[in-house]
Amino acid sequence: MPQRWQKTAFFFMLLCLIGGILFPVVPALASGKVMLFTEYPGIAVTPGESINYSIRLINSSNSIQHVALQIAEQPEGWETNLTAGGWSINQLSVRPQSEESFNLQTEVPLQVEKGSYHFVLRASGSGSTSTLPITIDVTQQGTFKTELESDQPNMQGNADSAFNYDLTLKNRTADEQLYALSAAAPRGWNVDFLVSGQKVTSVKVEANTAQKISVTIAPPSEIEAGNYLIPVKAQAGSFSAETELEVNITGTYRMELGTPTGRLSTELNAGREKMIELQINNTGSSELEKIKLSNTAPVDWEVRFEPGTIDSLLPAESATVNVYIKSSGKAISGDYVVGIKAQTAEVADNADFRVTVKTSALWGWVGILLIALVAAGIYYLFRKFGRQ
Amino acid sequence: MVVVLREKIGNLFRRQGPPETQHPFWAMVQKEAMDHINSWRFMILLGLMLLITVASLSTAISSLQGAIAEDTATSFVFLKLFTATDGSLPPFITFISLLGPIIGIALGFDAINSERSRGTLSRLLAQPIPRDYIINAKFVAALLIIAFMMMILGLLMVGSGILTTGIPPTPEEVWRVFFFLLISIVYIGVWLNLAIMFSIKFKQAATSALSGLAVWLFFSLFFTMIINIIVESTAPAQVTDINELISYQGFVQNLLRISPSQLFSEATTTLLVPTIRTLGPITMEQASYAIAGPLPLGQSLLLVWPQLICLVAAAFIIFGISYVLFMKQEVRSRS
Repeated sequence: MPQRWQKTAFFFMLLCLIGGILFPVVPALASGKVMLFTEYPGIAVTPGESINYSIRLINSSNSIQHVALQIAEQPEGWETNLTAGGWSINQLSVRPQSEESFNLQTEVPLQVEKGSYHFVLRASGSGSTSTLPITIDVTQQGTFKTELESDQPNMQGNADSAFNYDLTLKNRTADEQLYALSAAAPRGWNVDFLVSGQKVTSVKVEANTAQKISVTIAPPSEIEAGNYLIPVKAQAGSFSAETELEVNITGTYRMELGTPTGRLSTELNAGREKMIELQINNTGSSELEKIKLSNTAPVDWEVRFEPGTIDSLLPAESATVNVYIKSSGKAISGDYVVGIKAQTAEVADNADFRVTVKTSALWGWVGILLIALVAAGIYYLFRKFGRQ
Repeated sequence: MVVVLREKIGNLFRRQGPPETQHPFWAMVQKEAMDHINSWRFMILLGLMLLITVASLSTAISSLQGAIAEDTATSFVFLKLFTATDGSLPPFITFISLLGPIIGIALGFDAINSERSRGTLSRLLAQPIPRDYIINAKFVAALLIIAFMMMILGLLMVGSGILTTGIPPTPEEVWRVFFFLLISIVYIGVWLNLAIMFSIKFKQAATSALSGLAVWLFFSLFFTMIINIIVESTAPAQVTDINELISYQGFVQNLLRISPSQLFSEATTTLLVPTIRTLGPITMEQASYAIAGPLPLGQSLLLVWPQLICLVAAAFIIFGISYVLFMKQEVRSRS
């Protein structure tokens, strides 16, 4: 049993010895000379982020330590800098039993792979060295490009309205860029780019910042209803970004009622019928369906249409309708109003015709006949009594 | 002055050229016309008509400003000269309707009986001319004088109208004034024929003149009173049917139209006020959707065509009666 105890003690001592040889740092730290310390040895960042690492150098000896600072290991392409008190430093002195802070500044490159990156910081004092490993996890795939995006790329309105979009242009390159703004709109469309209320054609964006851009899109007034995609583009050298803005045009309903000659007056004899040609123009941007014709005419007048309804009328097209107006036989001579109205479910238009009623000249001829009869009677008297 | 004026007016009627080529009928017409023009009667009538013209012109012009303002849409400003009044004196058309018969009666009441009483009628009949030349020539000469007088008055109205308003008449207004003057001549012609008829019928010129004036007075004063009495007695007590009312209204209007002055005033008012569209009653059906606007001249003429026909026919018929009376009359020489 005592042999066994001895054996265990021996092994423990051997373990301590081996540990001391294998891990010289631990004894160095333990020896209490200089020591590097940070609270956050492992952090997660995104590409393009600036990191300002606060690190403390602890002097646990009883003498002043002059320590050379060195970044022993760093990922390729990362720029690093050690600062303290406003200077870039490579040496630091610490009073006995005290500590001093310095900063490790670095920037995560924009174009960086996702993964873990390691830094090793070494502080070499007189007779003692301390190293500090730092792990930085890049959580996203880094890019090196320009982004153009809109929170609300789809809008709806009629052909007369203007569409306002807010775009964000992000410059994720290392340099300041001057972007030319352009829109590949179809003919007739009007696209304006505005920055702080001013119309612009190009915009300057500093590296790794974003710029708000307003886009105003005015469609042509005679455009048909439908969806339209307007590609907008920001280009600076080889960097470019593109996004599509969607404009949903709802149709407008407009209709004009008139005659081919533009004349809105006619003459007709009392009790007679007359045909007038009407023209209906679709001046809106949507198809008009089921155009009905109606009238307001004086009492006992007859107004009929041929055809009575128009099933469909495409935009910018016109249709002709024959309207037959028959006046009342009792209509007095002079002017009457006959109102004609064309209407669909959406829109209506009307035209007032001035109809001049004329009395038939028939009774005039009867009168002349009477006078002729009387004159013939006088002539008969002349013949009978005059030339005897 | 008066003599010079007579000479001048007389020259207008004197035919140019050698007298032997003149047709005997026209020689008689010319002689009758010269007799009229050289008479004091004509000068008095002309003076009377000039007075009427000036009076109605002044009353029209003083009210013209208001008349223009109240209807700007259909401003037949010129025609207002004939119809407008400020209330102190009747307008021109009313004057003509009232005093036109006087001209006709004055020019015709002694046409035949004065010749007869002077004994010149038998002498005329002894000439180698047809007997009816006498009455025809007398009628034509008097009608020429009337036409001449009316045209003078009309031109005077138009001329002073242009002077005072500064607005020239439109062609339509000129035509309307022309037709108005024509109707006036026909209207006065009716009364002329009536007067000639009385002059044949009555031997005494005074009787003939009085008869003419009596007829004139009857139509201008008593006729409407008689019509009113008839209306009061025959009007339907209770109106049950609108058509009944309309036909009754038409009956009353036709009764009124027996009077030539009613025919004349209807015809001339319609011609000179183009916005008048109908002379009868208008039903609501007819008035619906109607726009107030002037009628074209042709339509105005068609509207008053019956009145015109009636006036012309009346003139013809009365002339025919006088003609038959004259041709059948015995003429004895008095010498």
